[in-house]
Amino acid sequence: MNIFLHEVKSNLKSLLIWSGIIALMIMVAIAKYSAFASDPEMLKMLDAMPPAMLDALNMRAFNLTTLSGFYGIMFVYFGLMGAIAAAMWGSDLISKEERDKTVEFSLVLPVSRNRVITAKALAALINCIVFVLITWAVSLVAIRSYKPDQAFYDFLKLEMQAMFAIELIFLAIGLLLGCAMKRYKLAGSTAVAIILTTYFMSIISTMQEKLSFLKYFTPFRYFDAGNLLRNGKMDSMYLFISAGIILVCLAGAYWIYNKRDLYI
Amino acid sequence: MNINIFRHEFRSRLKSVVIWSVALTFLIVFFFSIFPAFSADAKLMNEALAKFPPALRAAFSMENMDLSTVLGFYGFIFLFVQLCLAIQASNYGFGLVSIEENEMTADFLLSKPVSRAQVLTSKLLAALACLTLTNLVVWVSSFVAINLFRNGNDYESSTLIKVLLSIIIFQLFFLCVGLVISQLVKRIRSVTPYSLGLAFGSYIVNAFSGVFKDVKLEYITPFKHLDPTYIVQNGAYNMPLVLINVIVTLIALAASYWLYLRRDVSAVS
Repeated sequence: MNIFLHEVKSNLKSLLIWSGIIALMIMVAIAKYSAFASDPEMLKMLDAMPPAMLDALNMRAFNLTTLSGFYGIMFVYFGLMGAIAAAMWGSDLISKEERDKTVEFSLVLPVSRNRVITAKALAALINCIVFVLITWAVSLVAIRSYKPDQAFYDFLKLEMQAMFAIELIFLAIGLLLGCAMKRYKLAGSTAVAIILTTYFMSIISTMQEKLSFLKYFTPFRYFDAGNLLRNGKMDSMYLFISAGIILVCLAGAYWIYNKRDLYI
Repeated sequence: MNINIFRHEFRSRLKSVVIWSVALTFLIVFFFSIFPAFSADAKLMNEALAKFPPALRAAFSMENMDLSTVLGFYGFIFLFVQLCLAIQASNYGFGLVSIEENEMTADFLLSKPVSRAQVLTSKLLAALACLTLTNLVVWVSSFVAINLFRNGNDYESSTLIKVLLSIIIFQLFFLCVGLVISQLVKRIRSVTPYSLGLAFGSYIVNAFSGVFKDVKLEYITPFKHLDPTYIVQNGAYNMPLVLINVIVTLIALAASYWLYLRRDVSAVS
């Protein structure tokens, strides 16, 4: 419990900074959305197009004149921010003790290593939850004046769940890296490498039919805003893959951390 | 300029330079290898898109996307190259002098008979040398990738050179801004979150202004100052924005010297 509280406290500043950034981003975006909201000319144009074509071009999801379409575009950035924040928190948990030379201190406490890592992981989990809740709350406040319908609220809820799932995946990966990397500096840079690679893979997999198999390897594509809007739920296969990644990473992290030789 | 500091800094970064260069080469070649198949599709897409009303294309930010030409496609990839370069350069910038305080080597370094200005200059030049090395790798791999996969399509090599020349301005911006931020805060515990924040932050702001077609945000992000799509389309830099970029870099550089010469560097206790 003490470790948990200590971690929550020491992560508070970083959480506040990230929340500030995402709140700012939502406000700026909503301010710009006002230029597109229910532009009658645009709506007329969209109505005139055959629905099949709209679906083919993914324009339902990315129709900027509606709030849902607008949030469909925003989702990519939510996912990206959540992934970076979670990966940083996860990889920093273990490695910062060695960097700040406090690891001998925390490991001579009468607490098993399993409990240390559990407390730390829970603290980071709290961070992730708060981060999503703040994103959600700021969104709700920012869009208030557009009086969205129930369907949008459902979509927003789904999007936030998807963002949380992405965060969890990267948190687990970051945690594993923090435990597995012998030198503390490597944990952060490997996390950066994984974020960049998966992000680039998510882009390239949409561009080329032949490379679309890559979508199984990048969490950014597990939850596609277009699909979320059309199906009203997350794809169960991808949820399954996500759960698998999280469990494997967590198990690996516990296993490795228990046998870890300290780098002092 | 002190040759010993320079050499030490350069050597300690060499591994990171090699990793970034290999990653960038891989990125460029891999992304460009889908160009031959993609350009044919893109031509069909362009024809289909041309039938849409311009206002609609603008709303879905499709009007600038000409991915069927060599340079149009290269400009699209170059954005991701820029993202990597931004992370690398801000990594070096944030870590340039703050790493000494983190690793308790600051008092060792500063007790040497070398002025602080000299320390900073040697470190900056070493970082610049490392960035230039990466820069050269990007030049070479871009030319190689384009000539391997252009599939007989022609391109304007002077425009490509202009795009590639923008790299050094871009790198210096992140190096200097990272450096000045590291001097403004009390202590940088870990470089990565800062550099990711700076690089991805400017990247997302740039993507935003692309979607929403608002010009105000353009002024704050280097991704927009040196927008490859703009350079490819116009065959020239967006001069006012480039000037803003250079001025910010110079101010950050001057401020870093000013702050570092006066910085209270805590000794190991």
